[in-house]
Amino acid sequence: MSNRKRGGGWESQSALTRVTIIVLALVGIAGTALICSGLYIKAKARLSQYLLQQSFAARLAGDTDARPWPWADFTVAARISVPRLNISEIVLEGATGQTLAFGPALVNGTPEPGAPGTSVIAAHRDTHFAWLKDLQVGDLINVETPDGIDRTFRVNGSRVADWENNGINAAAFGTHLALATCWPFDAKTRGPLRYILDAELIDDPVNIASSE
Amino acid sequence: MFLDDEIAFAKTRRSSLKPLISVALIAVLGVFITLTSLAHSALAGEKISPLLTPNGVNMGSLLLPSQEPGYYVEAPRLKADVQIDVTGPILRAKVTQRFQNPGKGWVEGTYVFPLPEDSAVDSLRMQIGDRFIEGKIKPREEAREIYEQAKREGTKAALLEQQRPNIFTNQVANIGPGETIVVQIEYQETVHQTNGEFSFRFPMVVAPRYSPMPVVQNVRFGDESGFAVAEDSIKDLDKITAPVLDPRDNAKINPVTLTVNLNAGFALGDVTSPHHKINISADGLDGKTITLNTDEVPADQDFELTWKAAPGKTPAAGLFREQGPNGKDYLLAFVTPPSLKDDNAPAPKREAIFIIDNSGSMGGESIKQAKASLELAIAALKPEDRFNVIRFDDTMTVYFPQLEAADDQHKQDAIAYVRSLQAEGGTEMLPALKAALSTQGPVADGALRQVIFLTDGAIGNESDLFGEIARNRDDARVFTVGIGSAPNSYFMTKAAEIGRGTYTHIGSEDQISERMIALFNKLENPVMTDITARLESGSDAEITPDPVPDLYAGEPIVLTAVIPTGENGELNITGQANGQPWRTSLDLSKAAKGSGIGKLWARRKIADLEATPYTDDGRQNVDAEIEKVALEHHLVSRMTSLVAVDVSKSRPDDEQLDRTKMPLNLPAGWDFDKVYGEVSAPAPADKSRGITLAQVQNIAKMAANSVAQAPTAEAASIVATRTKSVALPQTSTLADRDILLGLMMLAFALMGGCLLFLSRSGLKTYAKAWGWRDE
Repeated sequence: MSNRKRGGGWESQSALTRVTIIVLALVGIAGTALICSGLYIKAKARLSQYLLQQSFAARLAGDTDARPWPWADFTVAARISVPRLNISEIVLEGATGQTLAFGPALVNGTPEPGAPGTSVIAAHRDTHFAWLKDLQVGDLINVETPDGIDRTFRVNGSRVADWENNGINAAAFGTHLALATCWPFDAKTRGPLRYILDAELIDDPVNIASSE
Repeated sequence: MFLDDEIAFAKTRRSSLKPLISVALIAVLGVFITLTSLAHSALAGEKISPLLTPNGVNMGSLLLPSQEPGYYVEAPRLKADVQIDVTGPILRAKVTQRFQNPGKGWVEGTYVFPLPEDSAVDSLRMQIGDRFIEGKIKPREEAREIYEQAKREGTKAALLEQQRPNIFTNQVANIGPGETIVVQIEYQETVHQTNGEFSFRFPMVVAPRYSPMPVVQNVRFGDESGFAVAEDSIKDLDKITAPVLDPRDNAKINPVTLTVNLNAGFALGDVTSPHHKINISADGLDGKTITLNTDEVPADQDFELTWKAAPGKTPAAGLFREQGPNGKDYLLAFVTPPSLKDDNAPAPKREAIFIIDNSGSMGGESIKQAKASLELAIAALKPEDRFNVIRFDDTMTVYFPQLEAADDQHKQDAIAYVRSLQAEGGTEMLPALKAALSTQGPVADGALRQVIFLTDGAIGNESDLFGEIARNRDDARVFTVGIGSAPNSYFMTKAAEIGRGTYTHIGSEDQISERMIALFNKLENPVMTDITARLESGSDAEITPDPVPDLYAGEPIVLTAVIPTGENGELNITGQANGQPWRTSLDLSKAAKGSGIGKLWARRKIADLEATPYTDDGRQNVDAEIEKVALEHHLVSRMTSLVAVDVSKSRPDDEQLDRTKMPLNLPAGWDFDKVYGEVSAPAPADKSRGITLAQVQNIAKMAANSVAQAPTAEAASIVATRTKSVALPQTSTLADRDILLGLMMLAFALMGGCLLFLSRSGLKTYAKAWGWRDE
């Protein structure tokens, strides 16, 4: 049996107990810090979209140099929205780690949305493109470019492919849009697979009617 | 339950704190197992690698679009013949390969061949079925239009384009079912020389890069929910694709014959091939013919040939001349400076100015890699060197007011500063570059001024920056270090060329030390600088490369020049070695006859043009100039392509392809007969490797099954457009993993705290209540 006093102060604890308490406290603090950093990523993604929406509106109103915040290091490419899911997000120019933290981004080397070819927009599966899994074949996606033109694309299908060899042809015939995010959706680690949603421009209302 | 068990476990020995420690250990172990399994699953994902994509091709391969978009099936290669003529420092290779469309439909094939960086491709010949086509050089856009039109019309056509300076693709439209295609390309490059050893490498087939593991995952739509599930049944895919797409199988049914006519220009010493058995037959004093020992052709390794001069005959210089049209002669000169490494002479002092980009686009891995590289570079400075550090985003900081001696104190200060940098803000590169080039004071006597620029080059005003370097570089050399997976390599390469430095790309963390050390060697050991060449007579000689780059240890100076026909006299080459003037003269009348020098000159001229200082002239002039030179010399370049269109429409389906229908008289210079000899019947070489005809047929059959075929020639082009891929960025944050891990750690801490509390207060009560006894 132990003869140590129960519930005594810090001084009365054995060295081993103290070490254990310190270790547990450190683990707890580290855990809290990790949770905070995770939440920070999500908060940043949310808040930046709010600011970006404002700057995009300013851009549409004619302010060509509207920046969401003074030190922002990117430009806005388009606004993507899905009426059915009540989604509206601002797409940035150039998909790098930095831009993707703030919003969906147009992958370098692909045409602007609405230009001939396949323009590819990528975003994080756990923030901006978390809704990508809810899109279905036949859904309509609106893409509004800063010049004020609003185009409608219809989802043709989806697939999973390797990040590098995904069959997306930036110079394909016709006007296509591909949305890409990491796959599987609920994975907690990074991997080489991407979920790709293919969509095609359907500006012509006759086309919509005939193909529905 | 787990917690109950732990309490019970703790209770039995609660007299000491051991149980707590054990529990803690188990829990920590649990956390680690979870972590490692997470990491492992991530790794398992990374292992999956492409079956075959244009980037994975090591020898010229004819790729047919597969049924999986973005993937290709390698057309069975029936036979390949390689003939390499080495004339002094020039190598000319003629590669003839025979492929077959194994499918039952029409396809557009893409023939991809990687070549050395400075190789000049000037010839494309094809034999499709019973037709011969020779490529004509055209401006790039025009060539593509001609090709597209032919493709739409169902005519056989071929288009050879330069994708990158070292990757060429040749598209072949409308290959009929079962048709045989023979492709012959010719290219030229310089022989590699280091420390008196001459060598070249010919890419054959490299197996290890490919993984036989299948990559593609299918998504299956079940009912009409619109949701797709990924199909994990790798076994099925394995059966369909792996045997065909693993190039090792192709390699085995790929009899290669290779002949090297080695005319080194000097008495030969050892001639060796590190990976292949070769037969050598003498052909005069300094000529040799090398053939592969065909009984054993391991076509799974690059062919490499190295040769040395006979003892004491190592050439210090060489001069070759080719008579070109229009009263021009082309000259190729190489000089190996005498051993300039003077151990007594002090190494030249360096004045290093490091520029690091800490703008927002460098966020994440890039800034880490840039900082690690820069720390390594600062640490490698010697006390007699001087240095400074400049960082920039949309603002900039010049760390030291002027260049400081690289003593320990200054190095430590600078490294600490670099470590404190964060990636944020915009990218304003020009002020930083100006500061580095113009405000760092004059260059000290005998010192080397080097500007080392670490960035991802995410900028839009490249031409301003090029102009700045061209105007203000003076004696400084600009070295660029591209950071991250996709730096703006166009900017990096050009900036280094204009700045007479080199470009180093660091794509991942594990490349930092190796690549940076290679860069340091260059930074520390320039053997000769300020190299110029002039004709003694004063006649105009257009010399490429211009300016001649600095020379590093063990390398020779290799120059090409265009001179008026009949020009004689001497070519004077001067330079600065270890602060001393160096000079040599070559007598033009002693030049040996060489061939292909004109093309080599043109290839280097194009490289020079690509690096033209971005002054006010603009880009169009440069493009036009490249196009002109390339057209004149029949070279494929960024601005020009080779295109070949068949004169008549494709053969109707009912006409069988038959070897006997081949015209017996081949046009002069078209020695396709070498590859047109035997059909795929197993040669003795194949027998030794145990491949039977049945196996060959089996492989061909499986290839046929996985080719995406089109019912008509017209449709083939549509199928083929589903090919070129766009690399997708990483699109998952670690937020969820962090939160999950954080929750686990928090839970662990709370649990541990509870246990500690229980063990110290309530455990005894619990134990009694549960009817357990102490000890």
